Amino acid sequence: MKNLLKDLRGARGWSQGDLADALGVSRQSVNAIETGKFDPSLPLAFRIARLFGKTIEDVFDDEAGQMAAE
Amino acid sequence: MSSPSAFTFKQANRRYRYAFWPAIGFYTVACFAGPMLLKAMSDPPKWVAGVIAVVTAAPIAAVFWLMGRWLRETDEYTRATHIDAMLVGGGILLSLCIGWGFLELFDVAPHLPTFWVAPGFFFFYGATRCVQRLLGMRKGGS
Repeated sequence: MKNLLKDLRGARGWSQGDLADALGVSRQSVNAIETGKFDPSLPLAFRIARLFGKTIEDVFDDEAGQMAAE
Repeated sequence: MSSPSAFTFKQANRRYRYAFWPAIGFYTVACFAGPMLLKAMSDPPKWVAGVIAVVTAAPIAAVFWLMGRWLRETDEYTRATHIDAMLVGGGILLSLCIGWGFLELFDVAPHLPTFWVAPGFFFFYGATRCVQRLLGMRKGGS
């Protein structure tokens, strides 16, 4: 799933490790989410969005899901 | 399994390590002490040998339980990738075991002690994780 995680993280000057520590996950998890290889669960997506003061829709772009619904 | 853990990734790793190393230490000591004890007893009763065998194997069973606890406590991505590696590694091992079993049955291959199954699982699980990580890097991850 496409997302703005890398941009949001970069805007704060955080490394992947910094973001991983803030979320309580591994650095590999952050990398996998940023590169779209892994879609986070709803609870983790909420935690990511809240950390940046955004909504889930602001952070994640569910293009494929929207196309399927239409 | 996807519910959020009460532990962070680092906390889960720490809890695993704190219990893993004592278990492996106990196993290492038991591997040497058990045979030495049996050798020291000229004709040990079967039950004594049985107890020593179970005591030696117990820490490895504890490590499998620890791995299960760690999988429940770690983050969801780590859990998903490691479960995948365990399934692939376990599948390879069990396929080899059944193949070897038939080779033994038909007197083509020599008998292998079954205690090699546990180290074999760790080997194939670890090898699968290495392949997963290499493939992940080739796909653009880090």
